[in-house]
Amino acid sequence: MIDLFAYLLMIIALLFMAFGVIGLFRFKDFYSRILISSKIETVGFLTAMIAFTILSGISFAAMKILLITLLVMITNPLSTHAIARSAFLSGYTIDQETGP
Amino acid sequence: MTFLEATLFVIAIYIALVLVRVILGPTIWDRLLGLNAISAKIIMSIIILSLITNQPYLLDVALVYALLGFIGTVLIARFIEKKETSHD
Repeated sequence: MIDLFAYLLMIIALLFMAFGVIGLFRFKDFYSRILISSKIETVGFLTAMIAFTILSGISFAAMKILLITLLVMITNPLSTHAIARSAFLSGYTIDQETGP
Repeated sequence: MTFLEATLFVIAIYIALVLVRVILGPTIWDRLLGLNAISAKIIMSIIILSLITNQPYLLDVALVYALLGFIGTVLIARFIEKKETSHD
């Protein structure tokens, strides 16, 4: 029963990640893409990690998975912010966008 | 094929799709964004592999990969800062 709940959470996480991948192709300019990538990837990662914690039960591995979750929850928005800051300080604006 | 192996397969398809974005991204920041997304998905894949084969030491590999991926992304982002924008 509890495994079934974890599988349901895992399917929801895969759906979130699918939205992130679709948004990486659908949006036209860079800042929209970095917004969708940051938010959706972090939410999908958190949901998948909760599912893995439920699947591994109460053990030492579950604490390690929670530690990885805490680490990624801090570092993933930070690295996305570093990329956006680098693009902005280098003078990259939406008007210069020529890509598809 | 169990559920976790099917999940690993779907995540591999996502990595291939993001790799297309990395290859044809117009600027270098799009490629860096794809690298960041692929890094998060690879951490998830290592944890699924640890659950399938029931070997908890693979979680340490995932932890080190998360730290090194963050340091690498921030270093590359700081390195290409204030350089001229390239459209190729």
